[in-house]
Amino acid sequence: MRVLAAVLLLLLSACTSSTPPPVRLKVLASTELADLAPVLAELRKATGVELAVEYRGTVEASRSLAGFDLAWLSSGRFLRLRGAEPELSASVMTSPVVLGVKRGKRAALGERPTWADIADRAAVGEFRYGMADPRVSGGGMAALIGVATAAAGTGAPLRPQDVSCDRLQGFLAGRAFDVPDPVAEFTRRSDVDGLVAHESELLALNASGRVEPLEIVYPRDGIVLSDYPLMLVEPAHRESYDRVVEWLRSSAAQKMIAERTWRRPVDPSVVRHEKLRADLGTALYFPDSQEVLDRLLLFHDRAGDGRQVVFVLDYSTSMRGERIAGLREAFASLNGFDRFYVGETVTIVRFAGSVLEERSVTVRGRQDLDTLLSVVASDDLRDNTAIWAAVEHALKLARGETTVVLMTDGENNTGPSVDEFLRVGRGEVPVYPIRFGEASTAELDRVAQASGGRLVEAGAKSLLEAVREIRGCR
Amino acid sequence: MREPEFKVVDPRRRFLLWFVPPLAVFVAGLVVLLVSGHITGPFRPVTVVRALFASKRDFFQDEQVKRILMARGYQVHVTPIGSRDLADKPDLDSYHFVFPSGHVANEHVKSRRAGKHVVPYRPFFTPVVLATFREYADALVRAKAAIPHGQGPNQLYYDLDMAAFKELSKTRWSDWGLSNGNRVIAQSPDPCKAYSGATLVGFFATAFGDEPPQTVEAAEQLALEVKPFVDAQGQAGEDMAPKYFVPEGRTHAVIAVIYEHQYIAYQLRQKTVDTERVLLYPTKQHQSTPELISFTPEGDRIGELMMNDPELRRRAVELGFHSLSWNGESADDFGTYIASRGLPKPPAGDAGRVQLPKAELFERMLDIVGDCK
Repeated sequence: MRVLAAVLLLLLSACTSSTPPPVRLKVLASTELADLAPVLAELRKATGVELAVEYRGTVEASRSLAGFDLAWLSSGRFLRLRGAEPELSASVMTSPVVLGVKRGKRAALGERPTWADIADRAAVGEFRYGMADPRVSGGGMAALIGVATAAAGTGAPLRPQDVSCDRLQGFLAGRAFDVPDPVAEFTRRSDVDGLVAHESELLALNASGRVEPLEIVYPRDGIVLSDYPLMLVEPAHRESYDRVVEWLRSSAAQKMIAERTWRRPVDPSVVRHEKLRADLGTALYFPDSQEVLDRLLLFHDRAGDGRQVVFVLDYSTSMRGERIAGLREAFASLNGFDRFYVGETVTIVRFAGSVLEERSVTVRGRQDLDTLLSVVASDDLRDNTAIWAAVEHALKLARGETTVVLMTDGENNTGPSVDEFLRVGRGEVPVYPIRFGEASTAELDRVAQASGGRLVEAGAKSLLEAVREIRGCR
Repeated sequence: MREPEFKVVDPRRRFLLWFVPPLAVFVAGLVVLLVSGHITGPFRPVTVVRALFASKRDFFQDEQVKRILMARGYQVHVTPIGSRDLADKPDLDSYHFVFPSGHVANEHVKSRRAGKHVVPYRPFFTPVVLATFREYADALVRAKAAIPHGQGPNQLYYDLDMAAFKELSKTRWSDWGLSNGNRVIAQSPDPCKAYSGATLVGFFATAFGDEPPQTVEAAEQLALEVKPFVDAQGQAGEDMAPKYFVPEGRTHAVIAVIYEHQYIAYQLRQKTVDTERVLLYPTKQHQSTPELISFTPEGDRIGELMMNDPELRRRAVELGFHSLSWNGESADDFGTYIASRGLPKPPAGDAGRVQLPKAELFERMLDIVGDCK
């Protein structure tokens, strides 16, 4: 009997000898993953693998994984753009980048708002939000890409030419802060209406009771989804990595992740909390070019520099009727990403044979837009067309970063000729002529080219479309 | 008053009372484990076989497949990798076998192993498909690019006209009645890396004519024509299938290039058929016939098991693969099995196949389309 017992004991111990020895792996993880600590404790108990985590923003972390065994970032896409994505990568959970809004401000955005609606309210100072710093954080960068993709409105991923003009200024005008830890900043402030962040961060904030619960808005024109891949950086740790991924993807771990961190499971069979079932709608495509990201960051960094746009508008008698009506409608219809925004200085120069009126407004709120509309509403149309005298006048008004938009339907017949105009150095201010009616393509194009602007033909499209096309260009 | 009574207990009996029930449980468990092949470890040497896998790794990562192989004395250590990366991997020779997904990578691997041990096995095939959702398939029907395969409502399979689909990429889903402003395109893994991504290039190529290019110049020209349709998705993803099956599937991609077996296996796991997720079969289909290419006697043994072992072959069908016999004929157990589980038979191989260009020409096309580095 004793012999039998001894044999059985031996067999049992043979069965348990396969438990692997404890391992400690150095992990570089996105900042927001600090909330996974309790899950990692369970992971260690179950697999013997301890993850020693250093937290950094995803964008910052994607610059170098050197010195780490694993990386666990909100997205592998930034690494992929640089051709630096590790070979082994397994998505563990997902969370969309969305908008949380204070209840009192929710109605201002409309029923199912788009990013364009949010930009529209932000531009006129009616909606102020916080977001993560896109130079550091994946969530912040995803938001920037999402908004820019929606602004381009091509239904396609952003290409470098789609971001040649900066259409984010209106949206960025509503930004109260962008910091590495936007959730903490949001809880400290009372003057902010909403927060652009991962759904998981917003749901966790709501559950914490630290602030009045935010309503979550999934913008209708599309969201960006983070998929949190766990990546093997140091191939020698392959075996431990496999064990960790297998455990993290088990139903029990997926359930724990969803319950404790509000991220969506990648296992379709895991039953979800009602709040993790909201329909996310469309996703925006992710650009395939680092150049696009660099350019977006450039625009982001320049936001709020108080730019100026000068509209030089032809009020000669040939504009009477449909043309002037079209011009007024174009101004009245500038909205969404194209709206004049808080901090922007808008100057209108009306001209015929000479400058008829000049009015500058630095936008503070919606009432300033009404002032501009009242200038455009003028019925004061006169004879003759002194295009280049008017543009010369406009260039003298330029302060800092300025764009001149010239809208004309006729030929220059008074004042300096185009040759005389071009003979004098014109500095750095780009001129964007919008041509319609009988205006001379050749002359307008020469000036556009010489100044670094671009000619827009309004022949085939409406004036509104033409203005939209160059809105934000410099 | 009664005297206290003392019961004399036989210590041997007490020991047996304590010992026999757990022993019985243990012995019963041992028998079960032995029969199921789980506990061969302590008694039988297990050969660890190292292998490189493309998308068909799901097969070797399946718990039942692992168990069956373990019972035969083998443990397969899987390293997942895209098919094209696999063929170029510098340490290829250090594996016992590889399992790329398609013919280009297969040929590439064989040429790299020229003069060394290299034995191919073809245990099964699976078509490359475009996986989508009911309302998107319906929109394609309205746009005259797709027709349901079969009669009646809730068809799971549709035939897709690639030439018509290519034209639709100028439009948006919102033009066809859906609340989605994105352009009508398909999303695939990177054609530089993954076979299913490469196949999307092949599908679009058929939209420009049936004859595969015969010269480098013709291949390059065709690649330039196809490129905008593949580029349209922006940065390509990884294996699309896992994300297609989650509730957020539509948000990951509304049309994702995956393998049919991934869909069939998913459906077979459901309690009732998921009629929201449907497949588009390009009229000219492409079937991925992965080859298990063995470099060692251990690899040969796995290949033979894949071809001969009834349990493994049955499991392959349960995982959604069409099995192939030694002579390359497709066996009919696939259709019979999935019909018995309430799934209609997919239109695999019904209406002709994509004629892919010769391997080196196709590689050239992929390099151009994907800007492969």
